[in-house]
Amino acid sequence: MLRRTALAATSLLAVGALLLSACTTGGGSTGSSSAGAPDADASAVIRLVLEPSNLDIRQTAGAALDQILIDNVYEGLVARTPEQDIVPALASDWEVSEDGLTYTFTLREGVTFHDGQPLTPEDVVWSLTTRKTTPEWSDSARLANVETITADGQTITLTLSAPDSTLLWNLTGRAGLVLKQGDTVDYKTAANGTGPFVLDTWRQGDSITFTRNDAYWGDPAQVGEVVFDYIPDNQAALNAALAGEVDVVTGFDANLRDQVEANGDFELVLGQSTDKGTLAFNQASGPLADKRVRQAIRQAIDHEAFIEAAGSGETLYGPIPSLDPGYEDLSDVAPYDPEAAKALLEEAGAEDLTLTLTIPNFYSTTIPQILVSDLNEVGITLEVDSVDFPTWLNDVYVNKDYDLSYVLHTEARDFENWANPDYYFTYDNPEVQELYRRSVAATDPEEAAALLEEAARIVSEDAAADWLFNGASVVAVGTNITGMPSINVNERLDLSQLAKSNG
Amino acid sequence: MIRYTLTRLALLLLGLFVASVLIFLTLRVLPGDVAQLIAGTSSTPQQVDAISERLGLGEPLPAQYLDWMGGVLRGDLGTSLLTGSSVTGELAQKAQVTVPLGILSLTIALLFSLPLGVVSAMRRGRASGTALSVGSQALAAVPVVWAGMMLVVVFAVWLGWLPAQGFPRAGWADPSAALRALILPALTIGIVEGAMLLRFVRSATLQAVGQDYVRTAAAKGLTRDAALIRHGLPNVGLSVVTVLGLQVAGIIVGAVVIEQLFSLPGIGRMLVADVSARDLPKVQGELLALTGFVLIVGFVVDLVHRALDPRQREAS
Repeated sequence: MLRRTALAATSLLAVGALLLSACTTGGGSTGSSSAGAPDADASAVIRLVLEPSNLDIRQTAGAALDQILIDNVYEGLVARTPEQDIVPALASDWEVSEDGLTYTFTLREGVTFHDGQPLTPEDVVWSLTTRKTTPEWSDSARLANVETITADGQTITLTLSAPDSTLLWNLTGRAGLVLKQGDTVDYKTAANGTGPFVLDTWRQGDSITFTRNDAYWGDPAQVGEVVFDYIPDNQAALNAALAGEVDVVTGFDANLRDQVEANGDFELVLGQSTDKGTLAFNQASGPLADKRVRQAIRQAIDHEAFIEAAGSGETLYGPIPSLDPGYEDLSDVAPYDPEAAKALLEEAGAEDLTLTLTIPNFYSTTIPQILVSDLNEVGITLEVDSVDFPTWLNDVYVNKDYDLSYVLHTEARDFENWANPDYYFTYDNPEVQELYRRSVAATDPEEAAALLEEAARIVSEDAAADWLFNGASVVAVGTNITGMPSINVNERLDLSQLAKSNG
Repeated sequence: MIRYTLTRLALLLLGLFVASVLIFLTLRVLPGDVAQLIAGTSSTPQQVDAISERLGLGEPLPAQYLDWMGGVLRGDLGTSLLTGSSVTGELAQKAQVTVPLGILSLTIALLFSLPLGVVSAMRRGRASGTALSVGSQALAAVPVVWAGMMLVVVFAVWLGWLPAQGFPRAGWADPSAALRALILPALTIGIVEGAMLLRFVRSATLQAVGQDYVRTAAAKGLTRDAALIRHGLPNVGLSVVTVLGLQVAGIIVGAVVIEQLFSLPGIGRMLVADVSARDLPKVQGELLALTGFVLIVGFVVDLVHRALDPRQREAS
């Protein structure tokens, strides 16, 4: 009996000791993981929402391609930081002539493509020239002002027919990407760039994997591999994060903050973005041709409600978001005032109005719900037509067959659409077009921004559209991850600084 | 039997032809085109036209249909407009997820619906029978998406036993990992489809109870349950085979939803992505293959049914 008790006591002690040691090791490892050293061979898994339909960045549109391929796989002479500054990339530096007509770039030496071929000045000339002269390629019109592209040694010279304050910015995007001359790679499924990552595998409908480019000309990437896991559903993405299957969740829902942060493995980061929730008005004919009706709709909408519902973002009352040049707080132009809205509608003789909102079906239903109820308050009946994106492209974008349309415009510096009367916005104001033209032609960046600011105020005062909100980049980042960009990640995701510690 | 088989085969071919025309025409009714999608929202009409021409989208409809059918007859389901990959190859690739998922779902559904369906019929009127009947009715009414979410929350998030989503990047190179990825999705489809099957098995069994031959067997001294098991169940089995044919179509539909929910790279998810990308040659190839599969299953079920059931043979 005594022996049995002693045995039991000893085993209890042993179990207790084990439990205690388990606790200490458990605590210790958690501590070390948050302060852990980066693992150069780590594989980081990033959840993205929208999968590209193919990888041909020369001619397939869509932010899903820019997001992963530019900076990481393909590079241009210049690049942009998340803060939207223009910085050197394949060119080590550049100079712009006083009159704004000559751009000279110094091309780096010792750069190779992923297939091992060296980057030559001829590749740069060929890439830019082909982009400019091939209308089928995206953004080819952005090089319209470029007259000649020549190389002399490592010096690349662009001469312009007229000054273009948007050129450098455009060169940080698709228009400036440098490809290998005469490359035979199948661009739809493969890639051959100069960036810090090499496209490894694409499992369509599932994931894309990049591996580190060990021959990269700059600082090598901090992880061995990046996997982009395409998970459209936010709840599924949250589950994947909680189950430890992904390290970073982009395009997240700020309302799920508590759930993703609950076990301390993730932190929610909110960054600025150039996403503009745009409510377009077809003002070519019908009731919306009357500016008073458009202004009434703007004043009937409680913009704060969208920010509250999303748990992130800022209000926006004009076409330019705060990250872009020419931003100005325009909240005074259309303050929330249902009474003023009713008065405007009465003045315009537009009571008992029924309008249709055409909206792509992948947006949150919260947006139409708020709009329906706000407009109902002032006597406008809003019918919601939820369609898939190709239908929206056909009906709204191409045929301009709509009353109201909602789309999230994500591109940075896209004011040009307000100066284009043929765009689906159907906004045609010669004064704005002239201001935009002068802004492009300006040689001083500050002057260019001031002209944009002036034009943007006119667009807002004309009630050319309503801007429901300026979205935020909502990213849940694993606590063992550093160097994850947080600004405008829907548009560009430079992963050269991303590091993952063991733990 | 030969005459029946030939007639049935002719019907199958006619069905395939009608399906191909319907698939072709309904897809052409969809607004929006792939060239516009490729060109995007900062494109000019000229850009869109250039892409459209390169992809050969301007051809008249009859020519497009004949072109497609010509390919199909040569065993070529077509080529994706977006990636240039072959539809047959893509289908074979995605089938590695969807086919095992379907088989696993069906197995799970059968494993619990057959015994429980029979038991619930035999215990009719008793508490356990009523509980099974009500339970299955409730389960069959559960939305697949909700069932999936619940399973994920319990088994992936709380317990951490199984993955919440996705399929191993190495595919079936690691069979246990691949299988683990399919368990929760297969359970989700299996439970909901199985609950429906259970109700069918129950009513088929109840019907058998009332048949003359079961009553005769019982009159000859067998207990009611024994009579049912020995003489009634083979007939229940026959009608279950027929329903299974329909169940295959149900499982394909279930896979479309479940593959989205669990981010599985299967045929269902591919189909949804291709429709929203207006990759019509690919969608029509995929739909024709799936329709063909369901029609062939129906054909085989009919033949098996006829071979097994002596009454049908006499009738012809």
